[in-house]
Amino acid sequence: MSWEGLAPMAKIEVVVDGDQVPAVRELFVEAGCTGYTGVSGVSGFGHHGHHQGRLLFNDRASLSMLITVVPEDRVPTLVAGLARFLEDHHGVFFVTETHVSRPSYFR
Amino acid sequence: MSNRGDHRGQPGPHPELLAEVAKAAEIVAPLWPLTSFVAVNPLLGLQRLSFDDATAVARRWLRARTHLTFAGFRQAHRRGTSTDADLRRAIVALAPELTAPPGLEIGGRAVDAVEIVRLDLLVGPDDTPRDTSRDRVGRTGVATVRAVSELVAAWCAVFVDEAGVPWPMPLREDGFFRAWRELAPHDRRLRRLAGPTGVQWLAQLPDRPVEALAVSLDALGVEGDRVEALREHLGRLPGWAGYARWNDEWAPPDHHRPQLRLVDLLAAQVAATAAAAHGTAAQQPPQDKGRLVEDGLLEQRAAAVLAELDGPSDDAVGAAVRGVLAQVSPPVRKAMWLEAQEGNFRDRLLGLLSRPDPGPVSERPDVQAAFCIDARSEGLVRHLEACGPYDTFGFAGFFGVPVRWRPLGSTESQPRCPPLVPSRHEVAEQAVVAEEAPGYLAARRAAGAAHEAFHAPKGSLGGPFALAEAGGYILGPVAAARTLAPGVVRRLKELTGRRAAPPPTRPAVEAELDESSGLALEERVLFAETIVRTMGLTRFARLVVLCGHGSHNVNNPHASSYDCGACGGAPGGSSARVAVAILNDPGVRAGLEERDIMVPGDTRFVAAQHDTVSDVVRILDREAVPQSHERLVEAFERDIAVAGARLARERAGRLPGNAGKVRVRGHDWAQVRPEWGLAGNAAFVVGPRSITAGLDLACRVFLHSYDAEGDVDGTALETIMTAPLVVGQWISAQYYFSAVDPDQFGAGDKTLHNPVGGIGVVLGEGGDLQVGLPAQAVGVGERRMHEPLRLLAAIQAPLERTEAIIQRNQVLRELIGGRWITIAGRSPGDVAWSIRSPSGTWATWSPADGSVDHANASLEVR
Repeated sequence: MSWEGLAPMAKIEVVVDGDQVPAVRELFVEAGCTGYTGVSGVSGFGHHGHHQGRLLFNDRASLSMLITVVPEDRVPTLVAGLARFLEDHHGVFFVTETHVSRPSYFR
Repeated sequence: MSNRGDHRGQPGPHPELLAEVAKAAEIVAPLWPLTSFVAVNPLLGLQRLSFDDATAVARRWLRARTHLTFAGFRQAHRRGTSTDADLRRAIVALAPELTAPPGLEIGGRAVDAVEIVRLDLLVGPDDTPRDTSRDRVGRTGVATVRAVSELVAAWCAVFVDEAGVPWPMPLREDGFFRAWRELAPHDRRLRRLAGPTGVQWLAQLPDRPVEALAVSLDALGVEGDRVEALREHLGRLPGWAGYARWNDEWAPPDHHRPQLRLVDLLAAQVAATAAAAHGTAAQQPPQDKGRLVEDGLLEQRAAAVLAELDGPSDDAVGAAVRGVLAQVSPPVRKAMWLEAQEGNFRDRLLGLLSRPDPGPVSERPDVQAAFCIDARSEGLVRHLEACGPYDTFGFAGFFGVPVRWRPLGSTESQPRCPPLVPSRHEVAEQAVVAEEAPGYLAARRAAGAAHEAFHAPKGSLGGPFALAEAGGYILGPVAAARTLAPGVVRRLKELTGRRAAPPPTRPAVEAELDESSGLALEERVLFAETIVRTMGLTRFARLVVLCGHGSHNVNNPHASSYDCGACGGAPGGSSARVAVAILNDPGVRAGLEERDIMVPGDTRFVAAQHDTVSDVVRILDREAVPQSHERLVEAFERDIAVAGARLARERAGRLPGNAGKVRVRGHDWAQVRPEWGLAGNAAFVVGPRSITAGLDLACRVFLHSYDAEGDVDGTALETIMTAPLVVGQWISAQYYFSAVDPDQFGAGDKTLHNPVGGIGVVLGEGGDLQVGLPAQAVGVGERRMHEPLRLLAAIQAPLERTEAIIQRNQVLRELIGGRWITIAGRSPGDVAWSIRSPSGTWATWSPADGSVDHANASLEVR
């Protein structure tokens, strides 16, 4: 699928424990990501059972989602880092095609 | 070259290596600076593993003891911390298969497998740690890693040290690795280790720490799992690595000390190791000695058991005994001992709590008082309740208001909440009469300048000599007085302090009055509702006291470890003041009414602070108490003074030294134990105070109030279990590990401490930053004041509610399923308690020995 005037990119969404967020941010920066969006207090159900959303007095125990967008040539490097990191940590990541209007923001 | 995403040893991005650094760093916990000392489980990064697996990792990489030695367990057993019945129950719990085999006839006695293991625990030899001296890191041995780590530790201290250093480390602004790499070639120790070729090799390393790390690992010939090589290095400097983790993951955004980053530290360690190994020939890998040690141990264990039974040493009996003992590996033996001692404490506590809950008294009390859940509050509450009909509560000492506190005249604020909670609001302390502030602040600045003028010479080379020469006539007698008569010095300070007292102040909580301080009305109402609902306050007395706590002690780098952990390692008075200001706010009261919380108009909240060294409780903002509540406050002051005096006498019995001076220990600059802090903590009770009222819990139990009836959807219980209980477990684990291995997990001998950069202490002239608590905080010589037990949480709430909360929170599934915490629960109205197994089944609790009167058990540390 293509949209006129939009540039193709890859979107990577990572869901990890709140206390793993700093490490994932480091991976993003090292792989050349120019930014990310963070959503804390993510709830859901998965391989390890239920995950409660935002907790009143514990920002570290609930899941967080980090979303970044990168040119496709940076995907293999970042994916290798994330895969290694998640080998024995809770968490998942998804890679999808996306399109952006301002590609210079992401290079 | 590997085909990994980041090419090893090559320029370019290295996210995979950073992922490996993060994995390796799990073996060290973040280490908070001493100014805001936060108790933390030293195995925090391994908590996703079970306690048994995590401790195995710690033994491997940190070379630490994770349990008492056998001698320690047996000594405690002789003092009564466990019984033979506890041992048998623990053996069956951890090795149920041992109940199946038929008994043996040994020495004329019928002996079952459980008894053989029990004897092994009582008389068998201790296991020998695995010999790691010949382990390898790539092409070099661990001896080189150790030597290099000592060298790098010295540079870490130079890098972070800002306090009183007239000549800071050059190039510090470039980061630790770059600065170190430029300066290290001038270090004679490195030149000796690496030689000229190694130093030259170091100079051509890439500038970026992560790239230098990749190249250095390659140069060391590390193949396969790089995490292990990184752990070998981090395990040599868990203190500095922990501080680097804190910088990376927990430091507040406005933190402006030199930032030691984990990847910088590792880059320096591994690069120096590679430089040292540069050009040396590879050696043959050593043989694995671990298995040999264990085989010999089994023989010795069997021989000890047979000797105890006066049994024959013939092959058939020996083989049978060895067959039984082989089923219990060395780590499981220690786990059995721990389980037995925890079971003994569990029986005593649940025995005390196994009585019907009488519920609250029906009439409205005159005074309610809420204290921090800190185990030290239990004693104060107990003695206060003995003075009159007080309705008391336990709540985390930040009283549900996570703010940054900016003291009067200060431009900087500090968090006053647990590290798990972000402090998004700043509250400033303001003079009630604004015109009174400038005069006081000017006087304080002058005093500060005089203090600085006195202390500044200490940082220079010859200054201390001149200072001693010029001021010795005055300083000598002052030093003698502080040593010999700390009580007199305290009274003098109080007198001079009164003359320089600050003007009356208030916390500026209303953001609508001052944008730079406070919270919006809606947020204040939300916090007020949280306080009331989580504490289970369903009715309000005329006077409600919120009492924080702090610890006044001098000449103590670990002073903040005695303050309130829920307030970020600071005294809790400011948190109580903020909460009180919110709860007395008429706008907040109106907002609470809209949420069906009716606070009577004659209810007044008042803040107080408990000094846990002297057990003196002081009402804060005393001048703001209205005349209408003066009589109630005076009565409270009288009773809390009596309660404090009684608690001080009780504590004097546990502390070494002159019992008569227990209340002035904090003023003695030579005192290594101003108080016991939280030593002895072992349990966390969640429920109404009525279930523990009248019981002597020996200051060993965190008490958190909870009213299950008023918390239909379980929100309050979930908050308690995912925050205060988690923090309680951190505290419990810190004391546990500091007690079982004071050298690796604790801060070692306090008399050798040397503060570094205001962030930590090293032992003597240098080395690793010390983590955990000083040896003097957990015992006196061989006598242990802290029984190392994992936390027991007893929760009175519908069992299905407790279970549902565990199921939907991963942090609880890990802590409880991994045996970091044991949960006991009972539904309201029940008398019997149930224990939750790690797999999630509940079984009714019964003591190991039913003939013991647990209803009148003592919880005193044995």
